[in-house]
Amino acid sequence: MKFRAKIVDLACLNHFTRVSNMIAKLAKTCTLRISPEKLNFILCDKLASGGVSMWCELEQENFFSEFQMEGVSEENNEIYLELTSENLARALKTAQNARALKIKLTNKHFPCLTVSVELLSSSSSSRIVVHDIPIKVIPRRLWKDLQEPSIPESDVSIYLPALKTMKSVVDKMRNISNHLVIEANLKGELNLKIETESVCVTTHFKDLENPLLPSDSVSQNRHPEDMAKVHIDIRKLLQLLAGQQVAPTKAVCNIVNNRTIHFDLLLEDVSLQYFIPALS
Amino acid sequence: MTGGQVKVFGKAIQTLSRVSDELWLDPSEKGLALRSVNSCHSTYGYVLFSSVFFQHYQWSPSATITDSDIPLNLNCKLAIKSILPIFRCLNYLERSIEKCTMVARSDRCRVVIQFFGRHGIKRTHNVYFQDCQPLKILFEKSLCANILMIKPRLLAEAIALLTSNQEEVTFSVTPENFCLKSSSGESLDLTSSVYSEMSFGPEEFDFFQVGLDTEITFCFKELKGILTFSEVMHAPIAIYFDFPGKPVVLSVEDMLLEASFILATLLDYPSRTSSPQSLRLSQARRSDPTLSGAQEGKSRVSQTPESISRAAPKRLFPKDPPDSSSAAETRRASASQDDISEVPESVVSDMEEGQSPSPLRKFSCMFFGAVSCEQQEHANHPLGSLAVASDSEQDASG
Repeated sequence: MKFRAKIVDLACLNHFTRVSNMIAKLAKTCTLRISPEKLNFILCDKLASGGVSMWCELEQENFFSEFQMEGVSEENNEIYLELTSENLARALKTAQNARALKIKLTNKHFPCLTVSVELLSSSSSSRIVVHDIPIKVIPRRLWKDLQEPSIPESDVSIYLPALKTMKSVVDKMRNISNHLVIEANLKGELNLKIETESVCVTTHFKDLENPLLPSDSVSQNRHPEDMAKVHIDIRKLLQLLAGQQVAPTKAVCNIVNNRTIHFDLLLEDVSLQYFIPALS
Repeated sequence: MTGGQVKVFGKAIQTLSRVSDELWLDPSEKGLALRSVNSCHSTYGYVLFSSVFFQHYQWSPSATITDSDIPLNLNCKLAIKSILPIFRCLNYLERSIEKCTMVARSDRCRVVIQFFGRHGIKRTHNVYFQDCQPLKILFEKSLCANILMIKPRLLAEAIALLTSNQEEVTFSVTPENFCLKSSSGESLDLTSSVYSEMSFGPEEFDFFQVGLDTEITFCFKELKGILTFSEVMHAPIAIYFDFPGKPVVLSVEDMLLEASFILATLLDYPSRTSSPQSLRLSQARRSDPTLSGAQEGKSRVSQTPESISRAAPKRLFPKDPPDSSSAAETRRASASQDDISEVPESVVSDMEEGQSPSPLRKFSCMFFGAVSCEQQEHANHPLGSLAVASDSEQDASG
């Protein structure tokens, strides 16, 4: 296995850092999948993460000026690594205003993802900082659990309001209860609802848009006013909202009534799928 | 002191507050010294404010021994939590204080600190102290094989780049290179901290003398505190060290004040020799610096470059019994002199057995051998040695 990549463009580096920060908010441990065209950050729906799953995809050519990889074999030309997300985010944090960044798969006493950052110090000399991030190589037999999740057919799809606004609302609701009902309909209405024995709080978002439906969709026969809803752990939603430092290009919420809520975000050229199952 | 001087003085208090919960004010003819040592005796902080640092400095001995005419200094131990709040908002103090006076009198067991501000505002603090003889450390830093001087901003900037949350940092030196590392733990799982490393060339140092290729590991928290203090003084920081297990000294000097911080370093060996051999090697190093260098060179040559830079720490704690004659000698020397730099280096090596378990147990306490020996003599009374010394002096003066 080999992996070696380099980022020299500052905007690309900052974007990659933001993606890494977002992943660190969403998953304590995740899988980094390296393939010839793409990088993926993957969280499969284990019970350990409360059934939440995540699939984040980056086209490598949008970030890296150099990218070389050799997978475990020719027919399985991929590398799957398990790592602590916070470690990568922290290493990349030192790369603000860096001139270049290199990432390499290494084996120094233990398998590492080695991040080298070239900086300019206050004494005007070049400074190279090297971070070795511990990783675990995932064997081939476990790859089947780490494939792209299938998108369930949703009852309602709706474009989200500004995530910053949503975060502000959900943050306050979190003080009341850990359980949140999120519901939406095909008339562009989204509600966030907290219900406890003593108080019921609902925030209404109106005049949102619904994405165009495929012609064979289940939703075709649905009454526009009917609400599709999911009862979820509010902390899972907050993790997603906390990770958004820049407004996404696109943010869609897909609701499978009483079963799953699926967030589909596009952050410039990075896509993120985030699935929160309903509380039983 | 003026406002600007109060800021520097307050920074010294803040830096020493990271060392211990207690502080000694130790005035003498040369000036006012602040001293602090932590509970497991692995870190010692010392700041001497020259008499010319102050607009007015007056000192007189509280008593003299009639036979030898040696002055008895004020024995003034304060709780950090009493004095630290007084010097908390330093930027505000610098701007608003026109004058600050400090008066200490042994007969009343208190220090009176007064701030004179604008518009005639006067603020007075009475801080009570304990009559307790200050601890003095015997360590000759100029004998260290490795001496570096660097602008504190450069080092602080580099330290900010370490991602580690660990408690220790490692300096690794060769004649051509200085390498700063987060100390790597021995666990190899995902939850390990990121290991970070960066190099400096000798050209980035104001002074770069490496007589001994070595790697030392010590507490990160104290280093950050010292760097903050150095930046306030706008003076280069000097770093003196030898080999793992011997203390590192971080020192800042200018015309008005000097500060030294002596930190214990982690006992470890780059080579993977067996315990008895390592112990012998360690003893050989202590006895003969030249031989020590040669041994170090030999052990390095036998390893590949990568493994040298990433050798896992191997912790050995020498269990030699304390050398009582040497300890007695250092005690005598301590009684007769009050300048740390004039006292010969102590080679007493000892690990306190009564110490409570803590991460700092890994650090050598070799430069506190004398204290450790005294404490063993008064096992039931941890501060017995200091109290006894104080009592005996009172008897002499009576």
